[in-house]
Amino acid sequence: MTSSKTDKKSNALWRFFSSVKLTIVLLIILAIASIIGTLIPQQGQGAVQFAKSLSPRWFSFLSNLNLFDMYHSLWFRLLLGGLGLNLIICSVDRFSGAWKRFSTIPRPDRTKPFEHLQPEQTFFVQTKINDPVLSIGRFLQKRYKRTQNKETGHDRFFYGEKGGYSHFGVYLIHLSVLIILIGGLVGSFFGFEAYVNILEGGKIDTVTLRKGMSPLKLGFEVSCDKFTVDFYKNGAPKEYRSDLTFFINGKEVEKRSALVNHPIQFKGVTFYQASYGKLPGKKVRLKIAKHANKDDITTLVIEPGHPVQLPEKEGQLIVVDVKGDLMGLGAAVQVLIQPSQGEEVDFWVFQNPQIVRKRLPAPMARSPKFNASEFKPYTFFLDHLESAYYTGLQVNKDPGVNIVWIGCFMMVAGFFVTFFTSHRKIWVRLSEEESGTKISVAGTASKNPVGFQRELENLTNDLKDTFSEKG
Amino acid sequence: MINSLILSYITFVYFGSFMLYLFMMVNGRDIFGRLATIVTAVGFAVQTIAIVLRWLESYSLGIGHAPFSNLYESLIFFAWTVILLYLIMEWRTKSRTFGAFVTPLAFLALAYASFSPNVRSHIQPLIPALKSNWLISHVITCFFGYAAFGLSFGISIMYLLKRLDNDDRKNLFLKLIPGKGVLDELNYQMVVIGFLMLTLGIITGSVWAHSAWGTYWSWDPKETWSLITWLIYASVLHSRTVRGWKGKKIAILCFIGFSCVLFTYFGVNYLAGLHSYAKS
Repeated sequence: MTSSKTDKKSNALWRFFSSVKLTIVLLIILAIASIIGTLIPQQGQGAVQFAKSLSPRWFSFLSNLNLFDMYHSLWFRLLLGGLGLNLIICSVDRFSGAWKRFSTIPRPDRTKPFEHLQPEQTFFVQTKINDPVLSIGRFLQKRYKRTQNKETGHDRFFYGEKGGYSHFGVYLIHLSVLIILIGGLVGSFFGFEAYVNILEGGKIDTVTLRKGMSPLKLGFEVSCDKFTVDFYKNGAPKEYRSDLTFFINGKEVEKRSALVNHPIQFKGVTFYQASYGKLPGKKVRLKIAKHANKDDITTLVIEPGHPVQLPEKEGQLIVVDVKGDLMGLGAAVQVLIQPSQGEEVDFWVFQNPQIVRKRLPAPMARSPKFNASEFKPYTFFLDHLESAYYTGLQVNKDPGVNIVWIGCFMMVAGFFVTFFTSHRKIWVRLSEEESGTKISVAGTASKNPVGFQRELENLTNDLKDTFSEKG
Repeated sequence: MINSLILSYITFVYFGSFMLYLFMMVNGRDIFGRLATIVTAVGFAVQTIAIVLRWLESYSLGIGHAPFSNLYESLIFFAWTVILLYLIMEWRTKSRTFGAFVTPLAFLALAYASFSPNVRSHIQPLIPALKSNWLISHVITCFFGYAAFGLSFGISIMYLLKRLDNDDRKNLFLKLIPGKGVLDELNYQMVVIGFLMLTLGIITGSVWAHSAWGTYWSWDPKETWSLITWLIYASVLHSRTVRGWKGKKIAILCFIGFSCVLFTYFGVNYLAGLHSYAKS
């Protein structure tokens, strides 16, 4: 045992990882690295823009250090791993000391604690106490653990203690940090983060992973039956809600609604309401007027991509493209007409043709591609574009999350044990004197001396009361 | 809105108590100190009423929510927690000397909330992301943490000032500051409270983020800075309990720690991130 200990002590690597200096240095390096990570935009849009503003040399320097995705980089994880190792070795190194402090019971007849007693910690009983083991020993047993007693000459000593577990609070905290790190690792190895947009009425079976933007099959299907946004009176959004249905092998299994702050879980995969948007082009309402006669107007409601017959069967019409906003000129649809005789024509029909005439230079505005009267003798008007909502869902799987919560719970418990409990040892001494018995109460505490002093005084008072009750 | 009017007056009340605590320190007359305590306590009571009024008012507007939802409300609550913790400390330590170093925090927070054109004081409805039961526990734990670190910051300044004091010096102000040992012990206690609260704040925040954003940790700047703050105070605790650092070194670390708190609170608003509702 002792030889292995000296081996450990002499091992340079062990010494390195068991030093608290290393802990502090690692904590500070992690802090500085994290600061850098918040100053350089990480991943996503911001990072791309920032990268564009850099000179190539800087860019390659920063990207070689993985500074655009720092928190997932190898070196950052190595730092965390180093902290974990440091934690483990520090804890192992010091555990035997804590165990000794916890398990060693001091001699009950120690006199040192009785030096410098406050007057409130002693009192005098006028009779000889007949059976101190019964009265005082019982009394202490009710309040303290591992009580002992011993008689030496004229004195009888009692010992009791409480809160020895307080020495282990620190280990609970350190263990909790490790558990949280493990939970994070489990999540990053066995989980995924993805997203998907589902058009209202649409159905998906694949989501896009955030990492690498690659598709991932879910193994089941999800449809969005309805998406609703509620607004406050001032126009701020109040609630987003997606009514989802889950299907396995085409069979409906479950219907649930996802709201912000109220995600839903299906087969270990969690769906979060993350965003929403509008896509134009569910249905298009076109009005068709015969050139000469403004009153002769036909209204057609068309689904893009589906050919429809023209009013007088001169051919068929297909809406090939729908734009919510074409070149900043507003909503427009691209119409392809295949006449029964003659050549195909295609042109854009704008919802607001005046803007086109106003904004575009004349030659362009007069281009046949922008002429809604290109197919004679008709003129086309875009009357209404029905838009469809899509819901943006964050789709995650994280089997590590419960491990993380366990770690968090342990950490808080560990704090309470470490900071708010202390190992309190108390001694009671009965000294027989001529006219009776002098009783003194003394003790030591590993923390919070002020609170402990109060405890000692209370204990003395309670002891005094037990004797006065007996008369 | 009556509540924000009252709250803007409280700014001057706390400024008054700061001046009174300062008078007490400069000329050593106890009457100023007693007056300062009364003014602070009355200010605190009225502020509490104003916060409750604001809470009720949000319900009468039909958008009822706890008043913890934007920068204005958070500043008000920060001032409130600082004063609450201060009054408890004054009562426990029976010393009024901390007042001159702590009340400015509350006064400045209220002044910023009430008089900065960038801070909107009207009650806004909650956006969907904030509609969660975790809002209250997250904000309360975080801000008690911030307030405890604020007090630790004040105590650290006192410690560094007290170091200038010696027997030859006849400076009443320095003489009145409690002894270095007391300050060091109190500072440690504040750091412990702050650290526990910050930890709870980060945990409640993660639980909330897990249900709102889908991940318990997304390295958003505010999250990251709160972690940085946590790491700094973790170093404070370790260097003190394991390496036995005391006094000046700890005071300086607490100084750095509180700068991180301030950056977590205000600075990150200049960085893009998910906590955008805390900006205005």
